[in-house]
Amino acid sequence: MRSRVRVSLAVFAAAAAGLAACSTPGATPTTSSSSGATGGTINVALASDPGTIDPSLANTFDSRIVFQAFCQKLYDANNALQPVPQLASALPKTSADGLTVTIPLRTGVKFNDGTPFNADAVKTSLERDLTLSGSARAKEIAAVKSVAAPNPTTVVITLSRPFSPLVAQLTDRAGLIMSPAALKKEGDKFGDNPVCVGPFKYSSRVSGTSLSFVKSSDYYDASKVKVDGVTYKIISDPTTRAENLQSGDVQAAEQLDPTDIPRLKSDSSLKITPVSAPSYEGITINVSNAHGDTSPAGPVNTALSKSPQLRQAFELALDRKTLNKVVWNNAQSVDCLPLPLQMVYRPDSANCTPYDPAQAKQLVAASGVKMPVPVTMMIPADSGDDRMAQVIQSMENKVGFNMTIKPVDFTSALAAGKAGSFDTFLIGWSGRLDPDGDLSDIVTTDGSNDYSGLQNPQLDKDIQQAAAASGVPARKAAYTTTLQLLGQLRPIIYLYHDTWFLGTSAKLTGVDYRADGIPRFTAASLNG
Amino acid sequence: MSVVAAPMPVASVRRGVRLRRRFLRRPMAIVGLVLVVLFLALAIIGPFLTPDPLAQELTQTFASPSAHHLLGTDDLGRDELARLASGARVSLVAGVLSTALAMVVGVPIGLASGYFKGWLDPVVMRLNDTVLAFPFLIFAVGFAAIFGASLRNVVIALSIGLLPTIVRVSRGEALVLRELDFVGGAVADGARPAGIMFRYLLPNSFNALIVQATVGIPTGIIGEAVLSFLGLGVQPPGASWGLMLTSAQQFLSQAPQLAIYPGALIALATLGFNLLGDGLRDVLDPRERR
Amino acid sequence: MGMFILRRAFSSVVVLFLCSVAVFAGVRALPGDPALVMAGENATPQLIAAIRHQFGLDQPLPVQYADYVSQAFHGNFGISTTDQIPVATILAQRIPVTLELAFLAIVIGVLIGVPAGVVSAVRRGKFADWVSNGFGLIGLSVPHFWLGLLAILVFAVRLHWLPASGFVGLAEDPVENLRRMIMPALVLGTGLSAVLMRQTRSALLGQLSEDYVRTARAKGLSQRAQIRHALRNSLTTVTTVLGLQLGALISGAVVTEQIFVIPGFGKLTVDAVLQRNYPVIEGVVIVTVFGYVVVNLLVDLAYAWLNPRLRVAGASR
Repeated sequence: MRSRVRVSLAVFAAAAAGLAACSTPGATPTTSSSSGATGGTINVALASDPGTIDPSLANTFDSRIVFQAFCQKLYDANNALQPVPQLASALPKTSADGLTVTIPLRTGVKFNDGTPFNADAVKTSLERDLTLSGSARAKEIAAVKSVAAPNPTTVVITLSRPFSPLVAQLTDRAGLIMSPAALKKEGDKFGDNPVCVGPFKYSSRVSGTSLSFVKSSDYYDASKVKVDGVTYKIISDPTTRAENLQSGDVQAAEQLDPTDIPRLKSDSSLKITPVSAPSYEGITINVSNAHGDTSPAGPVNTALSKSPQLRQAFELALDRKTLNKVVWNNAQSVDCLPLPLQMVYRPDSANCTPYDPAQAKQLVAASGVKMPVPVTMMIPADSGDDRMAQVIQSMENKVGFNMTIKPVDFTSALAAGKAGSFDTFLIGWSGRLDPDGDLSDIVTTDGSNDYSGLQNPQLDKDIQQAAAASGVPARKAAYTTTLQLLGQLRPIIYLYHDTWFLGTSAKLTGVDYRADGIPRFTAASLNG
Repeated sequence: MSVVAAPMPVASVRRGVRLRRRFLRRPMAIVGLVLVVLFLALAIIGPFLTPDPLAQELTQTFASPSAHHLLGTDDLGRDELARLASGARVSLVAGVLSTALAMVVGVPIGLASGYFKGWLDPVVMRLNDTVLAFPFLIFAVGFAAIFGASLRNVVIALSIGLLPTIVRVSRGEALVLRELDFVGGAVADGARPAGIMFRYLLPNSFNALIVQATVGIPTGIIGEAVLSFLGLGVQPPGASWGLMLTSAQQFLSQAPQLAIYPGALIALATLGFNLLGDGLRDVLDPRERR
Repeated sequence: MGMFILRRAFSSVVVLFLCSVAVFAGVRALPGDPALVMAGENATPQLIAAIRHQFGLDQPLPVQYADYVSQAFHGNFGISTTDQIPVATILAQRIPVTLELAFLAIVIGVLIGVPAGVVSAVRRGKFADWVSNGFGLIGLSVPHFWLGLLAILVFAVRLHWLPASGFVGLAEDPVENLRRMIMPALVLGTGLSAVLMRQTRSALLGQLSEDYVRTARAKGLSQRAQIRHALRNSLTTVTTVLGLQLGALISGAVVTEQIFVIPGFGKLTVDAVLQRNYPVIEGVVIVTVFGYVVVNLLVDLAYAWLNPRLRVAGASR
């Protein structure tokens, strides 16, 4: 199980506003197989428990996979990671002052309880997201002041400030629309029996084990749905997911382990589809997080926090290529920047710190700190990261560090990260589709995920300006300078971007595995 | 179940010879002794003769046995034999220390409980039952979660798990011994309870306790392996047989030998102690003969 | 007898109370805040506070405990913090899985262990005794989790006879369920059969040397009849041992379920601890201890009933 901070992925930033003009209505692109085979239930192996599936409360990556089955959004992401209308009929129109957003809706759509989908339902859902106690959505759409439904097919959102990422949020879980009738009936317990618009409807759940969905007759595109249902089975161990796929217990398995891939590829009854995920893995160094990530910085009493040269030496000692080969069978995309490789705003050259153990040794020796220099690396226990940590440890110890690995359960590790009670922390980020989402709050002053405690006014300003810039060339230039400064400060040493592998049985066709790492089974069919 | 009177505190030389002869007549006990000696040798001497168990040769992963690496290398190119030897040391430490700790705490409690009886005995026994009522692993998982996963905490958790048996056995010994004439005589001579416990009860419980140790040590060895296997014991890159099995599980089809070596060693070490324990029980503690 | 039952029942309640307090306090001593887990990445101090309030985590500990106990008496063990499903529902889903595993393991243990013990005792010192003893010792020495790995290696990875892991409900597909449970049950049952074999052997040997059997032998009773008599009396010991093995069986199930990825009680426990799922941990432990205490009480009573001599001694055993 690759553990990482997996949260809402599709947060588009300011640039999304530019897209508002070009409205391209249409259904989501699917490669449907029309072999005529119908029926059967698809069993899908999920990597982790999706947690609550109440759209206002959900906060795991895997909940987003499950939502794809039974709960559609106003917008969905396409393979170019751009928003396309789903329950909306076109991209939104934003007023000149950026404060009013108008969204046209699809007609003839029913919720899976048979009640009609309309603008009032959208209003009800968004208002619940904003007001429900414990809502995980409230922060995402905090800029929404009010929602109006002037007619059944039009929603008008009034913002308290111009907020370009709104479309991005409505392409993620804030865009999930719940049945008002079901909300009235279930109230806070909506997550126990959720009703939305979707190709499948909720059927049952066995805690920690599985979630079942059956074909919905109320779905507007029901003729495209070939199978009788989808069951998601939670199988946290990647090798077990692979075994279940091979034995035919599941017809699809997400996030297979790279070390299993060569073996699985040789199995002709399987199909392996890789996706280069926007996520990254890195080593966060506690630079000045002495009192918690949202509190003022303070001195941290560790060798790495005190010396930029030692941090440089730490990175010089890392042989990312060997790491990728030994631990991941060369599956990941080695990188030293947080931005995904396919992102248009990436600098032309990453300018990575090369692997140079000789120079690393010199820097450590010159640092004046008594050798070997102690470093502690916290890793989330039980994550499969321990092999990677051991290889890093051996590389660092060769140049004069004395690295200790400290596995901590994931929960406590996140708490320690926030509190600043760590030296270095091997932790990833699920990635965002806009560069701002990979930087803001993570390396900016008082950011809620600023585990390193970095507080650099120049960097804060650079990141703000890069987010405000418009047009690809301008933003790219802005991120080039921003990332250069970030590379010198080294609050995080980026290692690679994950490649995620979806394994499917050859019998299962028409699965749509998109660049966001979410497999869609709407048009899938089971043969034989 | 006839109760054989416990011997007087002084053991004669002739008795020692007789016991040795009785022990040597049992081939399985000798096999056990040999296995235990081999295990001790691997744990104590092995690490001095093998390479660094942490040194990685990243170009030499999953290497086959060679002159350089007698049992080949593991998934990170580390010498397998060296890791097995280092794991033996961890097992030995876990087995012996947890048993010793349980004895140091449990024997006085058990002896006092059996000797004084009164209000103390039911309280001790109730507490004992409470500890026993917790399924050990569930307790150990929680213990590791609270205090952190480390060899030290494994030893503490294991010793708590071993405690009830030790308390029960030493209490049983005290219950029998307190009724015997020489204890009664000492009481009549004005000996203090603590003196009686340490001068008379403890030495006479010795045989039963030695037998308990041969039960406790293998329990400790398996317990450490299980906890490390679940990720709650020794942490990477340290070598423990249980932890080696965890990482071997991932490469079961690619390198099954990595799963076979440590498991076989756990089984052999445990078997050795069990055989030795059976032999010693027959020789030293006929009352508990099976 | 009445006094005896009362005394045992009372001490069971005491054990249960002590365990519930211990687990309640222990669980709250765990580092890591469940509210933080529930809040996820969007955790704001307000959100965390709201969650803490919702789950009563902001109340003083004694209040939380009293509330918990009164709710537990109504079969309400709270709500799982990870998926918001009532703990009672989760337990009801998970316990049968482990019970099935334990039941199969006991069946396997008894079917192998008792006959092996009888053969070993009857043919004492002969080849069969040797084989049984050897099996018993190996069964006690080989750790189950390694046996599980070997079984996966041989039957799943090499021979492809059985699936390596995964679970299918008994109600869903009984045949498939059995196919998946057979390896874990064998692994768990082997250790148990070794213990039962040794216990049966020693109990039977003890009985065979008792006076009544000697008398019967002197009177010319056939060996088969002698053994039948002795065996009936030995079985009380074996039953007790089986009861006492329950704790070991649950511990074994924790590991076995982990290896074979069976969604049972043991896996639930480990997952709950790793996720800091307080209500589930408490539910798990209370139910385990309750089950254990009840089974032991029943075993004690059965034992006392079968063996009146022990009614008095039983208390100080």
